[in-house]
Amino acid sequence: MMEVSANFDWTANIRKVVIGATKNEGGTRTSSFRIGGGTTLPFLEKTPQPPLIAFELCDTPQYWSPIIRNFCGDVVNSPAEWAKKAGSSYGADLIRLYLTSTRQRNFSDFGGIKKTVESLLSSTGLPLIIEGSNEPKIDSEVFLKCGEAGQGEKLLLGTAEAGRYRSIAAAALAYNHSLIAQSPIDINLAKQLNILLRETGVPPDHIVIDPYTGTLGYGFEYSYSAMERIRFSALKGDLDLAMPMICSAIDSLSVKEVRDAEPAAQDALAVQWEFYTGIAASVAGAEIVCVRHPQSIMKLKEAFRSLAQINTAGGE
Amino acid sequence: MALKALDIYKILPKKNCKECGDPTCLTFAMKLAAGKADVDLCPYLDENAKSVLGATTRPPIRLLTIGVGERSFAVGEEFVLYRHDKTFYHQPGIFLRVLDTRRHDEIAAITARVRDETFTRVGTGLRFNGVAVMNASGSAEAFAKAVETVEKTADLPLILIADKTETLAAALVHCGTYRPVIHAADRANFREMCALARQHGCLLVVRAPDLGELANLAKDCAAEGVQDLLLDPAPESLNDFIVRSTTARQLAITRTLPDLGYPIYLDAAKGSLQDGFLALGIVKYGSAIVCDPLTPEAAKASLTLRQNIYTDPQKPIQMNPGIYRIGSPGKDAPVLLTVNFSLTFFTLEGYLESSRIPCLMFIIDTEGLSVLTAVASGKFSETLVRDSIKKFGLENEVSHRKIIIPGYAAPLSGRIEEVSGWKVIVGPRDAADIGEFLHEEWKQ
Repeated sequence: MMEVSANFDWTANIRKVVIGATKNEGGTRTSSFRIGGGTTLPFLEKTPQPPLIAFELCDTPQYWSPIIRNFCGDVVNSPAEWAKKAGSSYGADLIRLYLTSTRQRNFSDFGGIKKTVESLLSSTGLPLIIEGSNEPKIDSEVFLKCGEAGQGEKLLLGTAEAGRYRSIAAAALAYNHSLIAQSPIDINLAKQLNILLRETGVPPDHIVIDPYTGTLGYGFEYSYSAMERIRFSALKGDLDLAMPMICSAIDSLSVKEVRDAEPAAQDALAVQWEFYTGIAASVAGAEIVCVRHPQSIMKLKEAFRSLAQINTAGGE
Repeated sequence: MALKALDIYKILPKKNCKECGDPTCLTFAMKLAAGKADVDLCPYLDENAKSVLGATTRPPIRLLTIGVGERSFAVGEEFVLYRHDKTFYHQPGIFLRVLDTRRHDEIAAITARVRDETFTRVGTGLRFNGVAVMNASGSAEAFAKAVETVEKTADLPLILIADKTETLAAALVHCGTYRPVIHAADRANFREMCALARQHGCLLVVRAPDLGELANLAKDCAAEGVQDLLLDPAPESLNDFIVRSTTARQLAITRTLPDLGYPIYLDAAKGSLQDGFLALGIVKYGSAIVCDPLTPEAAKASLTLRQNIYTDPQKPIQMNPGIYRIGSPGKDAPVLLTVNFSLTFFTLEGYLESSRIPCLMFIIDTEGLSVLTAVASGKFSETLVRDSIKKFGLENEVSHRKIIIPGYAAPLSGRIEEVSGWKVIVGPRDAADIGEFLHEEWKQ
């Protein structure tokens, strides 16, 4: 039988980034992950693990979709309990905490942030992604507190953008965390930001690219190709793009289709929206897929296992 | 490998007879090299020359039309692995599967659903494409009956799935003239299947889990005179599909293995993994996808994904510039200016609707660029804002003279005020914050 396989002539690999640290690795997490390392298009080679699924939650639920508040119930009022449940009951691999409390006007409770991060670190053993403030004036204080609270835990901190990356870079460097670098659906802007971060001293294996994911029907066509192009350029040898990617289609729960659905169908629609976006994003190169609906997790997990099944090309 | 125009020219008769429609043999050769002409147009080529040219000059993936009439559609004739290299041309057809063990009213209902259901997004009606009838009963008679029911209900593209050629033959009595697809030929039955396909003018699916064997089968079927083929790589897992489908596509478009140059068939009806298979079939080169009737939610999500992936990535989708109303805005309603990039528009529109504040969206023509890129490139300028205000008569729509601009356009605020005379309020950078912003900042 003839050997039938695709030929791509790739010259480079995606870098590996470590998220989370177990006891042996100097932290307290029950698991840690190495993402990246790919040498060809996603899933065309033996993959050590399926894409990871991060469950997104926040510390002030009034900022969250009512669909999720209704589905999850009272647990949303305690980010620590919510995170625990996300691991033990929803089946998430990672927790992504949005410190939405920092969006309040004249926010100054920096000690409170630190306590919240610490409470999650003790309630769940999963590695954490922490999203800091939206307000440049308090960035520095917020990220330092997050970094400090998670010292030794190899957090993934978010989110650096072209206009504001110094505070988060400083916190990541000071406490040896990684960070998310987000650019608006454009391969050149993604590269530019990574260069800025490199010049600031952030090691390239501490960067995860967020190409910005417009959800299904609302920009996903652009995000999908931006991700494919980033992966392609990385494999062709562009070291400033050779980082793993994270995708979070945060608008999935607020798109018209989901908002206008009958209440009885809203959960199912939200889950399908997150699922179809998430699986297509993973095929384009996302190694962490973030969701907000608990039911999206197991559905994606089943598909990711089938997608990452160990296999070789076509024809033996 | 593909032949160059000059290599092809050497094989042509060099008579410049114009019978192919081209002025010279050289121009015909150039068209052949680009995959834009068919060798059969030249009446003077012998069979040998045709077979040499045929394999290298036809489009790398064969163009097929599935079904006849209004709902027929084309698949194949694709050229790229990544949509950003060019675009994907022919979106996959989604076929809802009916089993011949189901009651006839159920079969008719599913058929009617494919006929009638439309989901409208961004001004386009999205639909399923056809019905796949599967012989689950084992009886040729039941299968023929089920096909007859589908036929009587609607004129839709059909796929007939059965193991035995006699079973397919019984059903083809009812639909044989409508170019149905029959599934599937394998090493054991391909001659009989080819005979059936020739007799009724069917499209034929060839099935094998091994791509080498799939290529050989396709070649053997073509030699039997059946060239309208689809390839079923028989995936058990999502990984099987992505590996086989990507490999087949790559080898076909590079003409490394031209016998894989046919559209891909995917059976996605695999229980709880159906949504995964369907999503993967859409993004990774499926052309005919069969699934069990989808829930309304899965239908919307999958049809939206297909619309996204088959949108030409080189054209930013643009909105028409002008004034759009949210709710029933009065003369004192806020005016929110933004660009005509559709993603920006729909995102902002969504958040404005959920804020429940009636307002006007004022869309300026940045040729589909986002706020950031339009500001950076100078397309979003104070003169554009001034001219757009005049052109669309914004003065007559509201009694005030205040305009809210995107946060990323803040550097333009002074200049816009100077040239337009309107007071500029700088809004948030993130559309998600617009509701809160309006509640707090918009006071008359």
